[in-house]
Amino acid sequence: MWMKLLLIVALAGIYTQAKEDGRGQISGEVEEARWRVAESPDAFKVRLSLKSALGDEAYTWNENELYLFRAAMAYTMRQYYMAEKGQQVNFTSENIVTSEVTPRISFFFYVTNPDAAATITKAEVEAAIRLSRGRINSAFLLSDDTLEFVGLLATLSPPAEPTVEVWLIVFGVVIGFVVLVGVFLIVSGFRNRRKRKLKMDDDDDEGKAGEEIESGGVTNSGFEEEDDRRTQL
Amino acid sequence: MEMEKDARPSWDNPMQFVLACVSYAVGLGNVWRFPYLCQMHGGGGFMIPYLLMLILEGIPLFYMELAIGQKMRLGSIGAWSAINPYLGGVGIASVVTSLYLCLYYNVINAWSFWYLFHSFQSVLPWAECPVNSNQTGYIEECEVATPTQYFFYRETLNISPSIDDNGRVHMGQALCLVLAWMIVYLFIVRGVKSTGKVVYFTATFPYVVLIIYLIRGVTLHGAMNGVKYMFTPKLEQLADPRTWINAATQIFFSLGLGFGSLIAFASYNHHNNNFERQAIVVSLINSSTSIFASIVTFSIYGFKATFNYESCLERMRLLLLNTFDMAEDTITLDNVDYWITELNRTHPDQFANLAPKLDTCDLVAELDTAVEGTGLAFIVYSEAIKNMPASQLWSVLYFSMLLLLGMGSMLGNVTAIITPLRDFKVLARNFSNETLNGLVCVFCLLLGLGFTTRSGNYWFTMFNEYGATFSLLFIVLIEIITVSYVYGLKRFEKDIEDMLGHRPNWYWKIMWAVVSPVLLISLFIFYIVDYIRGGTPTYQAWDAVLGKSVVMEYPWYGQAFIALLLVSSVCCVPITALYAFCKKKQKEAKSVPRHEHTVSTVSVV
Repeated sequence: MWMKLLLIVALAGIYTQAKEDGRGQISGEVEEARWRVAESPDAFKVRLSLKSALGDEAYTWNENELYLFRAAMAYTMRQYYMAEKGQQVNFTSENIVTSEVTPRISFFFYVTNPDAAATITKAEVEAAIRLSRGRINSAFLLSDDTLEFVGLLATLSPPAEPTVEVWLIVFGVVIGFVVLVGVFLIVSGFRNRRKRKLKMDDDDDEGKAGEEIESGGVTNSGFEEEDDRRTQL
Repeated sequence: MEMEKDARPSWDNPMQFVLACVSYAVGLGNVWRFPYLCQMHGGGGFMIPYLLMLILEGIPLFYMELAIGQKMRLGSIGAWSAINPYLGGVGIASVVTSLYLCLYYNVINAWSFWYLFHSFQSVLPWAECPVNSNQTGYIEECEVATPTQYFFYRETLNISPSIDDNGRVHMGQALCLVLAWMIVYLFIVRGVKSTGKVVYFTATFPYVVLIIYLIRGVTLHGAMNGVKYMFTPKLEQLADPRTWINAATQIFFSLGLGFGSLIAFASYNHHNNNFERQAIVVSLINSSTSIFASIVTFSIYGFKATFNYESCLERMRLLLLNTFDMAEDTITLDNVDYWITELNRTHPDQFANLAPKLDTCDLVAELDTAVEGTGLAFIVYSEAIKNMPASQLWSVLYFSMLLLLGMGSMLGNVTAIITPLRDFKVLARNFSNETLNGLVCVFCLLLGLGFTTRSGNYWFTMFNEYGATFSLLFIVLIEIITVSYVYGLKRFEKDIEDMLGHRPNWYWKIMWAVVSPVLLISLFIFYIVDYIRGGTPTYQAWDAVLGKSVVMEYPWYGQAFIALLLVSSVCCVPITALYAFCKKKQKEAKSVPRHEHTVSTVSVV
């Protein structure tokens, strides 16, 4: 009789233990040992740099933030499936399996399929992240280099607008200005010389007349000086 | 009226002459050669040999050239022919050397234009590597080198792997060179009348920029590290003879002696212009500008070195944090070193894996990288500028300053060619000012296009090192020996008294007669010995695969060309002397029979 009681108690104990284990098992699915999550071939390592991004206004990382991450990733997967495959697959936060968070605030995660009992491949998760990267970043007030998915090949920003035009424009402006000034100087130089030549022809005529008038005239000391300097050379 | 037309043009006022000399003497060498020498030869201690050489050779030789130009009122060819008909070749050698200088010097201005025009962008093109064709990463060559080196060697020069590989002309460079020559032409189009107005700007604006840069430079983070490090005198360097030799050559080349530009400028002076005071003033301005520019350079060095050092520390900090997953604020920039040793002790295995990625961050090693020449101006400086806030503004200012310094020197270089040419009556009568100057500029432009080809930079370096170094020493040595001993110091003194009203005092006479010739002869011998001992001349070729410069020997035609450069200007002196000698002999032979004829007629009568 008391053996049956013992059996019932034992069974009850095993049941509650199993239930506890079960509960533990469910939350353990979500927060498994770090090494086990990291071992999965489809796991991604996430690293957040809150202090360098936000400085003094950095929020403290806690369970709720991790929950936000899971929710954001679930959203990401849903959007990806909707956009790429046209299916509405209802990922929830429980499909995102994360590991322990280190003091650095880094952890591993992988995604499980709600409909089947399989993990979503790394390539698909990567494609999903690329699609909604901006939304994920803004949920955490971070950017591409402060919320890192380690191993994600970054798409480098497309090259800036062809910059050949800019320097050619500046060059064109400067050389146009230079040509204008040059033409002005050359033309005015020629015109001045022609004017001077005409004036000199007039003066020469006057000079000849002058000489006739002033025969045996006074020597111009100005010209003499010029001569002296010349002969010295 | 005829005489008025042929009267020599002159500066509007003596200030223009002084500014022209300053504009010519203060050039790129003050900015990119002196700071390097200062750093290599003991920082503040280098001032001692530098200032000593200024007093012993710089100012006396400068004074001598100005005196000759002002007295003779002719360019270098005419002036030296007048001093001694056998030594007219010295003037020709000056013109040839100036021609070589004009050919390659304006290419630097073309590069400055290129960089200046490329500064008008939101992101400076040398700040980041461009992305490769399939957008998966950066261009390889840029990854291996730095973005500033990539921009200079690939996008600006499109340099080939060696001097043997000629390529096509780089269109952008060619356009910039055309622009540079057009502007030089505008500056000299009416001879000294246009040059005189331009030098007000080219001589003063670089100082404005230097002052602005000084203020910006010393307020940069880490600038004081550079200034302190560079200027602390290391007096043991004074025992090295190279220090004294480099000080002497720097003074010599910095003042622009021997090219004929100073003679040309002075030939437009009035007969009684007080060039003695001006010579001292210009030389002192030139040297103080060098010292001033090196403060700016060293503060920028300090900024760049500190920036690189702190980036290195930051990289190491992140590496440690990410590998060991520690909280972000455990490691700061100050305790990176402490944590390196600590983590090595506590996690040796993990640390060993990390070892290849770990760099040692050393501020002094960063400061010790000494660069000179185009590498300093276009690579190191642009790297520092891209890290400054409002970098486009600083870039525009900096390259405008480089342009003005270069253009100011070009004024003197081209004047040294056109002044002697204009002295030939044949040319002056048949060609107007504008036409002759235009022809000279077009000629130099066409030859200069050779420096814009893919291997152009290697030819540029050849010209820079051999075109105007040895020949100048030779020219100035002949000049001072001619003036002191062939023409005679007595005659020279009298000429100066004629111009200034007093004789030069004993300091000048001792320098001209004894000290400067001795110094020049020793420099000359040193150059020859160094050239012979140096073996085959080599140059630095850019290796695109390794991303750095490698040393290569010049091919046979390169060496032949170097010999040609050296010989072509030097041999003008003996050839002209021989020619003058032959002409004299011819004249004597012709005049003898006539004399006999006259005698016979007299006797008949």
